[in-house]
Amino acid sequence: MSPSDLGGCGGDSAPLCRAVVEPPVVVEVAGLSKAYGGVTALERMDLRVRRGRVHAVVGENGAGKSTLMKILAGAVSADSGSIRLDGRQVELGSPRAAQAHGMGIVYQELSLFPDRSVLANLFVDREPRRMGLVSRRRMAEQAAPVLASVGLDVDPDTPVGRLTIGERQLVEIARVLLEDPRVVILDEPNSALNDAETRRLFSILRQLVTRDIAILYVSHRLEEVFEIADAVTVMRNGRPVLSRPVTELHMAEVIRAMVGRDQGELFPPRRPPVAGRRPPALEVRGLTVGEDLVDVSFGAAAGEVVGLAGLEGAGVATLLGAIFGTRRPAAGDVTCLDAAGLPSNPTRAARRGISLVPADRRNQGLMLDNSVLQNLSHVSVGAIQRGSWLRRGSMAAAAGHQVQRLRIKTPSLATHVGQLSGGNQQKVVIGKWLEIQPRLVLLDDPTRGVDIGAKREIYQLIREMADGGGTILFRSTELSELRGLADRILVFYRGRLTTECPPGIASHDLLHAVNTGSLPAASP
Amino acid sequence: MPDAGHTAPRTAPGSAAPPSPGPSGNTPPPTSSRLGSRLGFRPGFMDELGVLVALVVLVGLVGLVRPNFLHPGTLLNLAASSVFSGTLALGIVFLLAMREIDLSFGWIFNFSAVVAALAMTNGVDPFLAGFMGIVFGAGLGLVNGVLSVALRLPVLIVTLGTFSMYRGLSLVVNQSRAVVPPAEVRQAAYFQLLTAKLFGVVPVITMLFVALAVALHLLLHRTRLGYRTLAIGSNPEAARLAGIPVARTKLQVLTLMGAISGLSGVLFVGFRGAVDPNSGADFLLPVIAAAIIGGTPLAGGSGTVIGALLGVLIIGVISSGIVFLGIDAVWSTFVTGLVIVIAVALDQLVRQGRRRRADRSQDAI
Repeated sequence: MSPSDLGGCGGDSAPLCRAVVEPPVVVEVAGLSKAYGGVTALERMDLRVRRGRVHAVVGENGAGKSTLMKILAGAVSADSGSIRLDGRQVELGSPRAAQAHGMGIVYQELSLFPDRSVLANLFVDREPRRMGLVSRRRMAEQAAPVLASVGLDVDPDTPVGRLTIGERQLVEIARVLLEDPRVVILDEPNSALNDAETRRLFSILRQLVTRDIAILYVSHRLEEVFEIADAVTVMRNGRPVLSRPVTELHMAEVIRAMVGRDQGELFPPRRPPVAGRRPPALEVRGLTVGEDLVDVSFGAAAGEVVGLAGLEGAGVATLLGAIFGTRRPAAGDVTCLDAAGLPSNPTRAARRGISLVPADRRNQGLMLDNSVLQNLSHVSVGAIQRGSWLRRGSMAAAAGHQVQRLRIKTPSLATHVGQLSGGNQQKVVIGKWLEIQPRLVLLDDPTRGVDIGAKREIYQLIREMADGGGTILFRSTELSELRGLADRILVFYRGRLTTECPPGIASHDLLHAVNTGSLPAASP
Repeated sequence: MPDAGHTAPRTAPGSAAPPSPGPSGNTPPPTSSRLGSRLGFRPGFMDELGVLVALVVLVGLVGLVRPNFLHPGTLLNLAASSVFSGTLALGIVFLLAMREIDLSFGWIFNFSAVVAALAMTNGVDPFLAGFMGIVFGAGLGLVNGVLSVALRLPVLIVTLGTFSMYRGLSLVVNQSRAVVPPAEVRQAAYFQLLTAKLFGVVPVITMLFVALAVALHLLLHRTRLGYRTLAIGSNPEAARLAGIPVARTKLQVLTLMGAISGLSGVLFVGFRGAVDPNSGADFLLPVIAAAIIGGTPLAGGSGTVIGALLGVLIIGVISSGIVFLGIDAVWSTFVTGLVIVIAVALDQLVRQGRRRRADRSQDAI
């Protein structure tokens, strides 16, 4: 029944045989391009996905994977290029049109309504009706076989919010399957799943494949990609750089293709490491925060840039939150800037000279409708200043100084921050902390969504802060940044600090460590 | 997601050069402190100017038909009668600016007035009783704040409850009857002062109101408390992560609102010489409306005390203007509502225009 049935070619030479029985292409993407403003996200992307196969798409952050998936789901429209489904060119102008063409997507962030029941979530906006009224009975009838096929054994009237993350994902998949799709897209489906849930997800995918559904699988976790996928496409800078059946690939090859050429010239020149030559500014022993961070110990010296690497949910964000006072540690012994213990809230953190540049600039870092001046003084005035009256002259002078020092491109200090470019916005976030001359700087992915010129300036700034005696904990999802800037790199995996790497570590070794928690066996 | 997050490199070509310390080609923005608006402390006086023009036009229109309306005594009396809701409107600006809303202030007003009037009746010096009323109001505001912070609930939700609690307790204390200090108490300096008119025309109470408006204006725009209030209203999460003490600021602002409500209540007692069980019951909507008409958005992050003052006067002119024009007074409620809708519609149009211009100047997010 399956087109991948190899029954007729047992003894023949394998390559020839595959050419004969390879199932037909169901999705064919050709020359797809997409730019946001001036930044190219996809550039003449090509992709061929075969029926009944799991096709993995991998690449570093910003490689264009999510944009490609959004275009295929009809959520974003391409600037140019074509999409063919079963050989016929189609326009996927809206999510509804894409659905009608048989494209089903399970998004990275689960998109369910937590207060509504499983059934209600399965039939959002297409509830079966009887005489104009939503028929719960017919919903239950239609849902039962699909829920059974994904192995979700819960009362369909349970509110989705009470399910585990893994179960919620099954609801998402069931929702997609109810559409009777030709292609199911999973955008980083297992970033929040534990091992058992991942196993279950894979067995469902294998079963879908036998029903001739093609699966597009986007993931960061290469080991799992090699376990589940039939073919792999590696993307870099919006282009496909490698596309092959998984049987003809090694993980090392994939990693090399993902990383590409080194971008060393982006970073300020190296200098001798300072660890050991200076007293530690931060010493953490046995730090535990719930289940998100378990028994973490390390130290960081003044003048050191410590890189933090880890997948989403590996505990890096929790670590930064605990040091900044937004997460309460359950256990651990910390000495932080000559004082014992961690600050209990961000105000205390700021007054101790600890700063945090949060990952979500627009929601956590800035008041978009406030002026550059106001944003630059939020810490110095809002958190630090003791007196009651604003000293407007010195606020303006200080903000003007930061604008000049950081080369923030703004028409005036009164300009709303929301009108600046991403890079200049991020400089404002950094500038408001520079204003208080912090001694411990926590950077949570500070170059996300920032153009290359501003990135280079931010790297330079990080180095300057360290050279000025600050201690930097630098988290980044772009591993090349960590290798280019950090004095050493701490790798977190599932809440634990598993590996410490020197800055000279090869990029594929680091990627391996981030994905598996340990360095490859061959590596020293 | 990360793909979409990239923003267009809109910076000048100079940004491609490696950064070097010291000033480069780009000129620093002007840092002269001549005008607060140029430095971004405030959006400028344009918002208040619009409201002021609207007020003058309204007064002029009524005056055109009924010239008596323009008599200074008439206008000043009108201002005096707006003082009580006006004081509350000045305070609610702080809550709106913090992206919160208080529903209970009308009953804090009432309860504080009742407590002060009862104290006067029982022989407490009226000035001391007035002070007690203000402190009492501040206490009720602090209760709102503590509940909101401890339960992590919006002030709106908390004050839905305390609205009735304060009202109910006030009714218990005043035994559902008007509290009227005895006639000999009402001869005291306190009552004389609050009903006096400077030069025979300017009511003292109006002058107090204007002085309070100036003080609160400075508090909002020139002090750390006001700065924190606006920052929290603009983006609570970013404020918290900038180290701004959100909980403490909330407590301070709600205590301030309580004190202002109490002040308004004790002024009311001094001006009217009595307090009804229902005094303050009708304040909720006109007070919030006055702040909104004045240009303080519900979305938080900005606020104008002077605008609220003008907004209160606009509402006062409408309700008394309708009487002057001989229109049945029942229309005044409708017209007040209509003005609110027009005011917020105009405000929204201006905002959308601004946003569109901003979007054009930055084509990619």
